[in-house]
Amino acid sequence: MSLFSFCKWMAEWTAQKMLIPIFEFQEGLFPPFTNPAGSIADWLGTDGGITTLAWLYAVNIAFAVGMTNLILVIHLERKIAARIQDRRGPMLSFRSFRELGEDLAGSAPSWKFKENYAGIGILQNLADGIKAIAKELIVPAKADKFLFTMGPIIFISSSVFLLVLFPLSDRFAASSAPAGLMVIMAAFSIAPIGVLTSGWASNNKYSMIGGMRSAAQLMSYEIPLLLSMAGVFLMAGSYDPVVIVEQQQASSWFFGIPIWNFIPQFIGFIVFMICILAEVERVPFDLPEAEAELVEGWTTEYSGIRYMFFLMAEYIRGFAGAAVATILFLGGWAGPWPIPPEIWFLTKVYLIIIFWIFIRWSVPRIRTDQILELGWKKLLPLSLINLLIVIFMVEIYPYFSEIVSLPEVF
Amino acid sequence: MAEMWISMGPQHPMTHGLWTLKVKVDGETIVDADPELGYLHRSVEKMGERRKYFMNTTLTDRLCYASSTTWTHCYVNTVEELMKVEVPQRAKYIRTIMLELQRLASHLMWAGAYMPDLGHITGALYFWRDRELFLNLLEAPSGSRLLYNYIRIGGVKRDLPDGFEAKTERVMKLFEQRLDEYADLFENSKIFRMRTEDVGKFTASQAQNLGITGPNLRGCGTKFDLRKHDAYEIYDEVDWDIQTREAGPGYGDCFSRYMVRIDEMKESVRIIRDCFKKMPAGPTLASQIPVRAQGEAFRRTEDSRGEALMYVVGDGSDRPYRWKIKSPMFTTISACPHYLKGYKVADIPAIMGSIDICIGETDK
Repeated sequence: MSLFSFCKWMAEWTAQKMLIPIFEFQEGLFPPFTNPAGSIADWLGTDGGITTLAWLYAVNIAFAVGMTNLILVIHLERKIAARIQDRRGPMLSFRSFRELGEDLAGSAPSWKFKENYAGIGILQNLADGIKAIAKELIVPAKADKFLFTMGPIIFISSSVFLLVLFPLSDRFAASSAPAGLMVIMAAFSIAPIGVLTSGWASNNKYSMIGGMRSAAQLMSYEIPLLLSMAGVFLMAGSYDPVVIVEQQQASSWFFGIPIWNFIPQFIGFIVFMICILAEVERVPFDLPEAEAELVEGWTTEYSGIRYMFFLMAEYIRGFAGAAVATILFLGGWAGPWPIPPEIWFLTKVYLIIIFWIFIRWSVPRIRTDQILELGWKKLLPLSLINLLIVIFMVEIYPYFSEIVSLPEVF
Repeated sequence: MAEMWISMGPQHPMTHGLWTLKVKVDGETIVDADPELGYLHRSVEKMGERRKYFMNTTLTDRLCYASSTTWTHCYVNTVEELMKVEVPQRAKYIRTIMLELQRLASHLMWAGAYMPDLGHITGALYFWRDRELFLNLLEAPSGSRLLYNYIRIGGVKRDLPDGFEAKTERVMKLFEQRLDEYADLFENSKIFRMRTEDVGKFTASQAQNLGITGPNLRGCGTKFDLRKHDAYEIYDEVDWDIQTREAGPGYGDCFSRYMVRIDEMKESVRIIRDCFKKMPAGPTLASQIPVRAQGEAFRRTEDSRGEALMYVVGDGSDRPYRWKIKSPMFTTISACPHYLKGYKVADIPAIMGSIDICIGETDK
């Protein structure tokens, strides 16, 4: 059963059992023509109403799954970073709750937990969220207030949009656009507008330089990124994630073991991984918010939940970037049978994220001119070479193999 | 983008203390720079004139929070010359050991502070983890971890505790292993070299004209170290070499300064080992220490950051008549427009971090 059929079943059930009776009851309370409840009940009974409701459910489920993964990713980052740095990381335990209770009540509470019970440091995220919401939202006196407020909204909304765009498997998908990956990349490239907006509106030199750097970086890395993706699209002949994964699974080179795209398109894979790191602004490429020289870059003037939105959106973008890399090059949700495809997909995504976390905590930051040089002088030619190889494999070799009857290799 | 002034400081992640660096940028390129010092001025020299000679060691400890023993030692050395005190041989060895331990702690503090400047936060925690080991060693004889007040006029406060040599040897062995491990993370790392090589360059003659001393000068290939050239304590009796970078392409940049300090740490370990080997038994404090002094004296010592110079005038009373401190970092920071111009904004923390700023001694 796919996510959508499950949601449709759920929508039918809720509409028939709950929503339509409620609206009909409301309709009975007031005379017709003053109350739209009756027409809503009628619409919910139709196929279109059920489908709309089902999409709503599907999007919400995908969003919930994405946000859960976001919390896990943030926790994972903190824990792995701490282990790399010879620390323990967030170690919030029930014992600290007890101590908090003792502080508040002035005496030891009657309930007892095992001493030193550790392992729920993930609640640190919750504490951070509460802290961020509780803080004052400061708008600088000479800032452009409208744009200053719009910046985080553009950034977080385009990032949350990403969460519902990629499928976890061919059955677990909230969106099934034929141009799925193009839509994802379009959503990715909305973010620079938010960055530039907030950098400019803050009326701060650090913010402005950070925003400019971000815009320059994202624009120059978009091109090799899309070119390295073009090879995959050419091989699959589609922008649809489902088709791309099926193509990877179908292309078997030896003994029936599928060859995922990262082997024939190794150059493209490397280029893509570097570019997506720059796209999601993680450490070797996080110079828009280089805290050493630009304080916090374009987020310098933001406080409270707006700053939290930026942090959250970065992790969402990281998660989405890893998901795109998995779909394009690592065979998506394909994997041996007993483990469900959604778990395979998330496993691959998490492996990429862990790899990124290791990179983040073991390399310094690159300079602006170096990052642009890398993008334009190295990655762009490499992605073009990758594209040429794919064209040879997909178009030229089959064409000549038909004429002179070459063995079928690709 | 038009040219504009950016004010970095007094509170900015790059500054490592309280000072302001005003940079004029054209886009991302630095056109001009203007350092502003004096936020941390505590008038140490004037305060010293109101205190007795032996009281001033508490002030000199507070000159530099990363390297307090070396400053106390510089003052004590000057006053000893003024009072003509003969220091026992064992005290000289203990002083040398403490100075080198302090140099190790100071250089590790610098290395740890330099890594976040380049965006490498893990490096900070690694180096500061090792610094803890040396702070423990400094704590063992002196009893404190930051402001030791261990070196006194006429010797040291007390003898080294039992088992200090074995403990030091253990720490130094571990430290040497770890330095080899870190080599892959830092000096052999491509990105680290991209950030530090050919950045913030100055030549040896430029450095000499600007008054830049210490590891920053040795990073340019100049073989100049006061521990050799104006030897004090027992630096001329132990085996060690001045660490410099070979003159050639890429010398005098941030990377060469980093490497000089790493090599100096290895050299400090060598000095400490040799000191333990040659250390004689005997008293650790001179038997007769005068309270009053007449005349004038100056000494220069090799601080962790460069040439520290102190000048003390005594008028026959128990307090100095005049006390002048020459800080190595004051001249180095003042010269920053010369080595910042032409580089990018992102290079500012890389360059200013590489010269090892300590505002405590700069502003005095």
